[in-house]
Amino acid sequence: MSLAGTVINDPIGNQLDQEINTLQAQIDQLKSQRKLQAAAVLSSHNTKAILNRLRATKAPSSKNGQTIPSDTDPLLSSLSAQHNYNQENLYRACASITTFRVQDPDPKAVGGGKVLGVRIDVSSQGKFIRPYYIMLNKPYVESNLLRVHRHTVPPCMSLSTLAERYLPSPKLEAGIVKGKKQDLRRFVREFRKVAVAYHNRITAIKSLRKDFKLDEDLKRKNGKGKERERVIVDISAADAEANQVRIEWIDGRVGRCVVGDTGEVKKCVVIGEDGRDRDAERCITERNGRMELIAARLKDGIY
Amino acid sequence: MDSFTIPTTSSLPATQLLPSNHPSIAKALHRLSRPSLLSLCLDWLDERNLDLTAPYILEDGGDEDNDLYPGANSLQELRDQYTETQKQKGSKRDVVDRILEGDWRDGLTLYQMAMVDMQYLYDHPTSQKWTALKIVPLSSDEGRPNNKTALPRFHPATFLQNLQREVLPDVKAHYNLDRHAHLPLYILRVYIVDSPYNTSLALTANSKFSPEASRTFYVAFPDNSPHIYISLTTTSTTSLLPTPTSDNKSLRKLVLCGIPKAFSRPRERYTLEPTRLSARNLEVLSALRGGGRTNNAAGGWGVYAGDDQSDNPLRIVQLPTPEQESETEDTKSPAKKGLKRRIQPEESLVKRRKLLAQGRFGNSAKEHDGMGIERVDLKLEDRYSIISDSIEGDGGDAEDWRPDTRVTFNGTHVFAGIRQLVEQGIIDGEKMPGWMTGEDGFSFGIVRDGRFVDGAA
Repeated sequence: MSLAGTVINDPIGNQLDQEINTLQAQIDQLKSQRKLQAAAVLSSHNTKAILNRLRATKAPSSKNGQTIPSDTDPLLSSLSAQHNYNQENLYRACASITTFRVQDPDPKAVGGGKVLGVRIDVSSQGKFIRPYYIMLNKPYVESNLLRVHRHTVPPCMSLSTLAERYLPSPKLEAGIVKGKKQDLRRFVREFRKVAVAYHNRITAIKSLRKDFKLDEDLKRKNGKGKERERVIVDISAADAEANQVRIEWIDGRVGRCVVGDTGEVKKCVVIGEDGRDRDAERCITERNGRMELIAARLKDGIY
Repeated sequence: MDSFTIPTTSSLPATQLLPSNHPSIAKALHRLSRPSLLSLCLDWLDERNLDLTAPYILEDGGDEDNDLYPGANSLQELRDQYTETQKQKGSKRDVVDRILEGDWRDGLTLYQMAMVDMQYLYDHPTSQKWTALKIVPLSSDEGRPNNKTALPRFHPATFLQNLQREVLPDVKAHYNLDRHAHLPLYILRVYIVDSPYNTSLALTANSKFSPEASRTFYVAFPDNSPHIYISLTTTSTTSLLPTPTSDNKSLRKLVLCGIPKAFSRPRERYTLEPTRLSARNLEVLSALRGGGRTNNAAGGWGVYAGDDQSDNPLRIVQLPTPEQESETEDTKSPAKKGLKRRIQPEESLVKRRKLLAQGRFGNSAKEHDGMGIERVDLKLEDRYSIISDSIEGDGGDAEDWRPDTRVTFNGTHVFAGIRQLVEQGIIDGEKMPGWMTGEDGFSFGIVRDGRFVDGAA
């Protein structure tokens, strides 16, 4: 852009800038499209077969043939890399707990900087979210016991409690390492359970809000003139772990229900201006019900 | 004012007036910039705040002619006046005088004072030094492992009620809780008065003894996190004064002691534990001791915690295609192939260092990322090995000699500075120990054999 263009409002410069921007965006889009196509081509079985055949036929005659496409080998290697990647993704999507090795860049790191990474893929609302990572190292001399080195788990999932239970640190008694047995599989499985349950609860609360149309514009609804007016004002998680759900009615009643590990409503209290509202409580906890169905049960009661 | 006063156990009411000639008011107001002052005044004139911040408004017909700042006749008139002043240019002094001698001539309420202080805190985010503390369950009930209630629940109203009950009756305090503008945390401002009475007389008499700064302190409560951050007053000013400072410190301590108790419930007691992190920057604290994923993955490990769209098992695009690689080589030339392609050694070295720094620091410690820790204090307890290697005849016991070495890094962003030194080649990025990258998330502590010592505070 010209210098004058920055100072005064230059219509031509602006237009050119805009064009450049749109072209740039187009280039980016096309590039990502090509990437996708390339990945798709590399992933296909036909490509592999063709490349293998090419190499097999050309390999014996390679000493005299200068016309062989010389890029088959890099293609093959990137093909196998793509296959490895696809396989890893398959494991990640289906098994949801995968491991990998990391080298700690810290030269002073314990155990030669060998770190075991555990990746836990969790989906939330129909999408895979950024996986949780737990890095383990072996800080104890002459023993293979593990310890959580770094992790990306938010505090509301209390990884430390699980680590204390399933990966207890050894106690040194008279020079001999003693302590409870560590159970890495159990530790990771339990953690995954906690993480999945947490995300399921969050999803359930979101869908409850959706059921009562809490995130929608109120004005638009009033304009339609529907006879169903808003009964519930707010539904939200009351604590960090989303173990408690808070429900607020339009007439000032406030409810709190405790949700169990598997998503069932355990207890519930609803208090209004004149004491507890047993009907609503029964409605919410009915038949030890699922938390996802609170909305359906309440609606049955209301309408 | 009441004709007689009796000691009470309640807190100071937010409506309590502080007379406008009180020295601390003028001082607090003068700290603010003119635009902040004006927007604050408009906030005070807002309908929602009027109960606590009502201005001086003339009754019908009662206008005094000789007044420098004549009182307004209606709220709307005042609002218009302040909006008008916002557009004009003028001095800060005018606005302060107008507030003190004109529209709020009767004085400011404690609520208004709290708003002034909070505004200052938002305008100068680094004006307070924050220390992170962890709320941990009291160790006596270790027997039953409870994974359910690992996080103490923070409910603002209940918490304040409990806190008031825990603080001793001879300390009067005014509490003001505010939601931070963009960080997920609440800030509690505590204003302490060393008197059992909660009248304005107690307020004015008290101010003679102690400086303003030592009487207010802040506690921040991040969402979904077992930590709290407390502000420490800058100690340099308090050392000049005689005895009352220590007294104030103990008062502050009393309030601080009340905090874990206010979190506690029957059969669920908590205590506070230091976490070896203090910084002026609240953003740093909420990243390292907050409710997110980055608590235990600082520094280079942050690449696992950040937001990365490509880290998804359903994404099939991963590798750069060969053809693409050659294309990028021409323009950006990745450093791995640099040596083969015979670029200038100088250039390849710079690239190597950059890559090294990227490997050690990840995406953290960039110069303008606003995550600066301004001071890092370390005590090094490394073995003094160089000497014992060269002078072997000195005997074996010298091997375990650990000299007491203390290192302090000072600057606007310590770890960004270290990263730059690595990129410049002044620090060897490969041999640099991990505590220099900030990946442990500590700002002070003991380093032994190149690693932070766990447990020792």
